[in-house]
This record gives sequence, structure tokens and C-alpha cells, in this order.
Amino acid sequence: MTPYMAVALTSLVAYFIAVKRLGWRPSDLGGALGRMAESLGAGVIFAVVNVLAAGGLVLGLRMLTDRFFSLYSLDDLGWLAVSMLQGWAWALWRDSKTAQLR
Amino acid sequence: MPSSMIVRALGLATLALFFLAAFTPLPAFLYERITIPVHIERADAIVVLAGGGVLASGQLSDSSLRRTVRGIALYRDGLAPLLVLSGGAGRRSEGAARAVLAVKCGVPDTAILASSAGHTTHEEVAALQPLLKARGVRRLLLVTDGTHMRRARGLVRDAGFEVLAAPVSEVEMPAQPEPRLRLLRATLREGLALVYYHIAGYL
Repeated sequence: MTPYMAVALTSLVAYFIAVKRLGWRPSDLGGALGRMAESLGAGVIFAVVNVLAAGGLVLGLRMLTDRFFSLYSLDDLGWLAVSMLQGWAWALWRDSKTAQLR
Repeated sequence: MPSSMIVRALGLATLALFFLAAFTPLPAFLYERITIPVHIERADAIVVLAGGGVLASGQLSDSSLRRTVRGIALYRDGLAPLLVLSGGAGRRSEGAARAVLAVKCGVPDTAILASSAGHTTHEEVAALQPLLKARGVRRLLLVTDGTHMRRARGLVRDAGFEVLAAPVSEVEMPAQPEPRLRLLRATLREGLALVYYHIAGYL
């Protein structure tokens, strides 16, 4: 549990630096966390779509070729990280579009 | 915008699931739902299903080694006269590599049946069925990972055998976040595999 206590501690330190030194408003934190949740949600959608597409591709390749392609190849944390990056990029893009409209 | 609220809610739900999985016994609870209790009695054969194959170095993968050792231990305990070691042919046949290990551990050559047919659990069981029937096997001790046991037992049962579950534990009931998340991942993966096997009509 020690690393998680460190995470709690660094979060607290970062909060105080942001508020006291950088002058950020505490009331903006809720909105930032909401946008973070939105990025995460978009990442989850990308992850589900990616795994369905990859699964379809594996099953399709099995049917169309003589070679065996394993569904266990989908059991890889790498694609999850890439899906989260997709979601993050998507959310940032959407934010910039919204900012332009204001 | 409603769609952005839904995406945000999905993100929050994912965060909640992450914290529940990492800091509560939720993964262990779900694992208990998917696994089959151990039931070890005398049988006609011990069947060790494939698990991860052989590494480029020629050694068995961790999962394969755990299952093989479990099978050998059951044989050495006198629970069955036949040890069936399954495992598809990749760079090298997993079944054959397992047989070499079993012989080194004192299992007689004549008590070992190695099979290297099948890439999936479904194909593996289909390949084992005639081999086991030919040897007069009706009741068997099935060795595979705890998460895999429900799907494997269903297939072997449908193939006409009485199955006793001798699962290998992938993990102890974890108390740390990372092993808990790993257990959740294995359980969810197997849950999806069960759904796929039902849709495909294998179970």
C-alpha cells in the first residue's frame, strides 16, 4: 500500500502548490476531474471497439486463411494503454473545438 | 451535451470499478463465482490441458509448468494409472515437452499419453476424446487453471466423460492491488471466453 500512500501525499502537495504558488482556483478542480473522467470514458469506448474489431479480425483471418490466430493475442495490456491515449486525444480535440466555438 | 455526460459517467464508472477492484476483495468474489471447487478422487486418467506452450528456450511456459507439475503430483499420489499431457505444436510440441518432464519426475513412459492436437480448448478436447475412449477412460481428473476450469469441464463433460476438477491456482487470494487487478483481468477474460463459447455453440 506504500506506493498508494505516496500517491495521496503527492496529490496533496500538488494541490497546495497549484493553489498557493500558481494561484489556480480550487473550484476549477471539479471541472478538471470531470474532463479527466470524460477522457477515460472515451478511452473505454475506444478499448471496447478496438477489442471487438481485433476479435473480428482474428476470427476472420482464421476463416480466410489456413493459419491459426489466437484470441489470446487480444489479452495484452498494450492495446488498453493505446486505447486510453486514443480517448485522451479525442477528448482534447473535442475541448479545442468547444473552445473555438466560444 | 447528453453524449458527453454519458462518456463522463462511463469514465467515472470505470474509475469506481478500478478502485473497487484494487482495494476490495471484489476480484476474489468474482473469481469464486467462475471457478469450480476442487474435487479429487481416484479416476481412470489425469488429463492436463495445454497452457501457454513452450518458450523459444525450450522450457515450458509458467502456466504450462504449473499444470504439468500438478498432473505429475496427482499421478505420483496414485490417483490414476494414466497421465494425459496435452499441448499443441508450436515451435515444439508442448505435450512432448511435458512428457519429457514427467519421465524425469519418475512417471513411467508407459503411463504417459502425449497429445499435440488442437489450438483451442474446444479443438483440444475434440482431439482427446477418441484417445481417451480408446483407453477406456470414463472418469478423469482434469487439470487446468482455476479460471479456465468451468469452460474446460463443460467441454469434457459434453464429450462424454465424468469430470473431477483439479484446478491449479493462478494466484493466492490477493491482498495487494496489482495481484487483485491481475485476478480481475483473468476472470473477465475467461468470462468473455465463456460467452464466446456459448455463442459459438461449443457449450
